[in-house]
Amino acid sequence: MRVLKLWRYPANWAIFRLDDRLLLIFMAIIVGNCSGLASVILTRSLLAMSEWLHHLRSHWWVFVLPAIGAALSSLFLEKVVKEGAGHGVPEVIYSVSRYGGLLRFRSSFSRLISSCLTIGSGGSAGPEAPVVISGAAIGSNIAKYFSLNDRQRVTLVGCGAAGAISSIFNAPIAGMVFAIEVIVGEWKSVNIVPIAIAAVAGTEISRILQGNQIPFSHLLFKIDLLNVFACIGLAVLSAAAAILLTRMLRSMHTISHKLSGPLWLRAAIGGCAVGIIGLFLPVVLGEGYHAVEALIEGRYSQGLVFVALASFAKIAATALTLGWGGSGGIFAPCLVIGSLVGVTYHHFLSLLWPSALWANEGYYALLGMAGLISGMLQAPLTGIFLIIEITGGYEVILPLILVSAVTTTLCHYIEPASYYLKDLVEHGHLLRPGTDARVLTDLNVPELIERDCIIVKQNMLLRDFIQIVQKSHRNYFPVEDDKTGNFLGIIHLDDIRPYLFNPGMYDAVFLGQIMDTQVEVVHPGDDLSEVLRKMDINGLFSMPVVMNNRFVGLISKATILDQYRKELMVQTSH
Amino acid sequence: MKLTINEVAQCLRLPVTTVDRWIRQGRIPIQKSSNGYIVNESALEKWAAMYRLPFSLPKKVNAQPQKKRLENLLSAMNRGGVIYGIKGDDVETVLRGAVEKMQLPLATSKEKLYQCLVEREHLTSTGIGKGVAIPHPHDPLPDTFEKPVITTCFLEKPIDFNAIDDRLVFVMFILLSPSIKIHLHLLSRLSFCVRDNAFVEFLKTSPDSSAYFSKIADFEKQLDRADNS
Repeated sequence: MRVLKLWRYPANWAIFRLDDRLLLIFMAIIVGNCSGLASVILTRSLLAMSEWLHHLRSHWWVFVLPAIGAALSSLFLEKVVKEGAGHGVPEVIYSVSRYGGLLRFRSSFSRLISSCLTIGSGGSAGPEAPVVISGAAIGSNIAKYFSLNDRQRVTLVGCGAAGAISSIFNAPIAGMVFAIEVIVGEWKSVNIVPIAIAAVAGTEISRILQGNQIPFSHLLFKIDLLNVFACIGLAVLSAAAAILLTRMLRSMHTISHKLSGPLWLRAAIGGCAVGIIGLFLPVVLGEGYHAVEALIEGRYSQGLVFVALASFAKIAATALTLGWGGSGGIFAPCLVIGSLVGVTYHHFLSLLWPSALWANEGYYALLGMAGLISGMLQAPLTGIFLIIEITGGYEVILPLILVSAVTTTLCHYIEPASYYLKDLVEHGHLLRPGTDARVLTDLNVPELIERDCIIVKQNMLLRDFIQIVQKSHRNYFPVEDDKTGNFLGIIHLDDIRPYLFNPGMYDAVFLGQIMDTQVEVVHPGDDLSEVLRKMDINGLFSMPVVMNNRFVGLISKATILDQYRKELMVQTSH
Repeated sequence: MKLTINEVAQCLRLPVTTVDRWIRQGRIPIQKSSNGYIVNESALEKWAAMYRLPFSLPKKVNAQPQKKRLENLLSAMNRGGVIYGIKGDDVETVLRGAVEKMQLPLATSKEKLYQCLVEREHLTSTGIGKGVAIPHPHDPLPDTFEKPVITTCFLEKPIDFNAIDDRLVFVMFILLSPSIKIHLHLLSRLSFCVRDNAFVEFLKTSPDSSAYFSKIADFEKQLDRADNS
């Protein structure tokens, strides 16, 4: 029994007690393997699904397939596991911000199944985000099982995400950078080391099971200065595409929410629309890795208008799938849209200036992908490393960095919060470590209450009160009702100053007459930022804390500053 | 020494709820196990130093006599004694006569003490009215007095002391204290006694010391009661 107990608390093992880094590395290996496995499972089942449904592609009614898939996935999420639609990355960031990375166990498989239904049937979405939430949920639940604390759990959530992305793209650095840049948001060695280990573990699992291959290999490019400069134009174009995709996704979401009717029906409508687009442009269907391959290798031979149309169609299809309730991520669609935009740009350049020595389409497709990923996620490093790793094209690193940087900046200029973070920022749920919002959220009113106030009664005479004033250390005196004990108001020393040296008033004035009843009060459950806002507006330095009409204590700016500083020191310095 | 979570909070001067939250969030090196917390004091101290947080163990020995009671009138008066029939027609001679008769610690220079008292009288008179004066040095004399001393001096005949109410002074309380704090404490108690007119009338009879001290003891009781209520 004792051994069992100890087993559940690895943080108390002698080797891990002083420093939890070893423990985290150890856990990171487990989490990385598990989430890597989850992503292999999803990739395999998507393959199986597309093979299984392949023979149906020739029928005329094939456009209802995405509808059926989306409806089933929506039904599964809503009725069976009772989770919201969407891709899951914001949920992970939300839980990291608010709940120390707590995620439900069912999240570790629910999105796998729903996204498999959506994407396998032809919906335009990616399998990465579902894998990320699965990996994160696996990390979170392993941390919960071993009773780790919040900080360790957040790191393991990051490990899960890193393992998942590393495994699905065979790209360890991209997984690592994604987990730190997007999920955890804190570049500290305590996080980076376990996350790196998890990325290695995740990649290794996928290499053992699926072989080590670069997903999108490409031809050699000849890059001269002209092509490096040309990529700036591509950056602008891909920023525009990223903004368009973000706006479309959000507007589709609003439109679909205006419709009454069950969720699965909305998802089916969206899926049906995608299916109809897919009848004419099959490139939009599914996660689209084949299309990306073809585009990078230059096998996609259609002309400028067709490719431009395909870009718009893919954007629309993605918005229809995800905005109307399908399940999946935006990683893969971004890659497809990016490569389409890149090829469009290449065709456009060739048309504009045919005699110049342009690099081939693959080069621009690759840069376009980097632009789209960086723009959508507003995470330039993730974009750079992901594209480098999935294409093996280190020779394009310079234009790649340029495109990523410019696109991120432009997108940030137009949409200050990335697609993942927009809702969180709007609701004030994005709390990155070491920020003011983080500290104010962690501190709460009950921790700041000062209880050494002397409570006085409403019917007390000024004479008796002056004797109390002599002994007290504070300038504020809360007044209570004699019978009910309810909080009535507060007396500040300033309020009695005029009567203090006038003994004639001592027996003539009751405290009930001089107290201030129009006081702003704080409730113990109030948000500290709200409390501080009230203090600033009214120019107060102290406020009474009142719960159920009873006075609990005082909260003052001096104490807040003291605690705020300690909290900030503990959260930031290392 | 095993620290409890409450003691850790005291060491860091933080509420227990904050320490509890820090443990949950993993910001402080304390582990939670199935049956309580595991606190490693040296690790905790190192951690506090790293984050530059104040950390000191609660002092149990000094915690007891936190509020040292200041000495009250009676013991100071006993120490100073009562002197009757001091001769003289003006402030200087009266003060010199009183200082000569006072029983002081050996090291004290009577001349210096006299100078201090006269200097203070030149600033403003210490005659507080009703025929009472409380001569004292401007600054406390911590070198010469470890404990406060009040010498009660009854004058042979009332003299003009430049008192605030211009009445002739017939009794002086020479108040010598080691610190301003004790000085103010004794002064406020003394003035409480003098506020009572009956007591002033009683003083005019130049009472003998035992009756006088018992009166003072009565006042002390009243004052203590007021303080403790």
